Amino acid sequence: MKVMVCLKQVPHQDAKLDINSDGTWIQEDNIKFEINSYDTYALEEALRIKDADADTEVVVVSIGPDRVTQALRTALGMGADRAVHVNDAEAFGSDALCVAKVLAAVAKAESPDLIFTGLMTDDGNSSAVPPMLAELIDVPSATGVLHTEAANGSLKVERELEGGAIEVVELPKPCLASIQTGANQVRYASLKGIMQAKKKPIDVKTAADLGVSDVASKATIDKVYSPPKNATADILSGSTDEIVSGLMGKIKELGVL
Amino acid sequence: MEFGFSEDQLLLQQTVRDFLAGECTPEWVRGQWQTETGRSPEFWSQLSELGLPGLLVSETQGGLGMDETDLVLLMEEIGRVGLAEPLTATAVGVGLLRSLGDASLADAWLPKVAAGDAILAVAHPASPFVADAHVADLLIASDGDSLHALPRAALRLEAQTSNDGSQRLFRVDFDARDETRIATGREARALEAAALDRGALCSAAQALGACDQLIALAADYAGQREQFGVAIGSFQAVKHMLADVRVKLEYARSHVYRAANSVANDATGRSVDVSMAKIAACEAALLAGRVSLQVHGAIGYTYEQDVHVWMKRAWSLDLAFGDAVFHRARLAAGVIDRSLPAESFGYSHPQRVPTPTAGLG
Repeated sequence: MKVMVCLKQVPHQDAKLDINSDGTWIQEDNIKFEINSYDTYALEEALRIKDADADTEVVVVSIGPDRVTQALRTALGMGADRAVHVNDAEAFGSDALCVAKVLAAVAKAESPDLIFTGLMTDDGNSSAVPPMLAELIDVPSATGVLHTEAANGSLKVERELEGGAIEVVELPKPCLASIQTGANQVRYASLKGIMQAKKKPIDVKTAADLGVSDVASKATIDKVYSPPKNATADILSGSTDEIVSGLMGKIKELGVL
Repeated sequence: MEFGFSEDQLLLQQTVRDFLAGECTPEWVRGQWQTETGRSPEFWSQLSELGLPGLLVSETQGGLGMDETDLVLLMEEIGRVGLAEPLTATAVGVGLLRSLGDASLADAWLPKVAAGDAILAVAHPASPFVADAHVADLLIASDGDSLHALPRAALRLEAQTSNDGSQRLFRVDFDARDETRIATGREARALEAAALDRGALCSAAQALGACDQLIALAADYAGQREQFGVAIGSFQAVKHMLADVRVKLEYARSHVYRAANSVANDATGRSVDVSMAKIAACEAALLAGRVSLQVHGAIGYTYEQDVHVWMKRAWSLDLAFGDAVFHRARLAAGVIDRSLPAESFGYSHPQRVPTPTAGLG
């Protein structure tokens, strides 16, 4: 079985983010990057299939500049077998559909039995790529997956629904699942794994190599800014009784209770 | 000459940092203070899966076959989280076993160390008490002109109190026998000297991490705590103190990295480089403790606040494998008494600048 895992490298969760000089994105120089947290759960889910079946091949795929190699090396250090790095400036930071088109081209070339992605990305938060990718390669998909169980011809998944309900779906292979955070306990890469990862192949491709064109973003970001601080906040002061009384008054005034 | 670390080394450092950030929280460290041994076999097993105890063990013996230039960045991360599991003793012990003329002891023990099945401890004359002797499977100790390798059953331990809840110290007594002797004379002294340098290097690298963390704690608090309507970090009196510690840290970092290179390559000036590193890194960490405490004010003195976790680690690291007085004396012997050649300090072809004989006109 072959499992393709789509990874995005995003700014590290502890990185201090500043807006760039033209106000259209964050300043990416001198900040750390890491694998999108949702994608680490997708990778772990794939590696568990590999743990159970040594013949399974896990292929990680990412789009981005040279720095993405580090994310792929980490994934290889965790146990993935090989990587595909789409290093094409036109596709960097592209919109969801163009990203899905590039990933679809990789999927067509790889013909995986399963495709795992994170539910969304920490930076984009759109959740749009996984269903678009499934649609472009014409495979069934499930989003918000908390548990997977791979059988011979299908993948049984548990999806998270509103209100804490769980939906159980069985998808015929090939299929795609976008994995929710908390679906599993993500393993750490070992130092040995990182060293062994140096010997694992990273296949670098451009969009043209994959037979895809016109992958530049069709969406433009006009402005990125920090939300203005709300000057209307009331800070209650006085004794505890006065503060509680004031708070109750505000709640009633707003009609919350 | 390449002065920087490779991408691989930095990736290994990030890997260890991510692991420790998730698994070795201040709460976990404090929890270990309360346990009987202060050590966690489960956590040691995790560290072994990660590959840390086997870092210096050869690949043929199940390790990673790396050297101190790889180890130094990882020790920094260990110091950053205040982890006191016996990783320094492991590095020192592995170095000792690896260097023995007779390989049988190394062949017997190093695969177990790499697998996480055996813990080493080292008793060095520069440290009167032995850390983690109670959990060690093998102790390597000096006795007069000899080095001995002793199984735990051969040791008589007397627990010592420590300011640092993370540290478990013991006075160790044993009967030196012919069958426990592993080196004598010049060989034993050379091994002992190398062990001291490797241990001091590991302590210095951990001090860098502890220092960095103490600065981070203080800077974070200074950014939140307000006085006169503004964050106290905006006051020069506060920010300059922190900047001074940062300067000391970065100054020390260069020394520690150089010392790592010297230990890895057994350079002529190894001992001078290590002493410089140990003094600079521990000075920086001790200052960071004092400054962080002052920036935090009264709350910094409370048990609940985490400053003391790292401050006490800094105290322990300062005393481990030779205190500042020991290393200054050793440095003086090397530099002032000129017992080491100029090459020790990086000058391969020292040339005297001729004294001018004519005036400027």
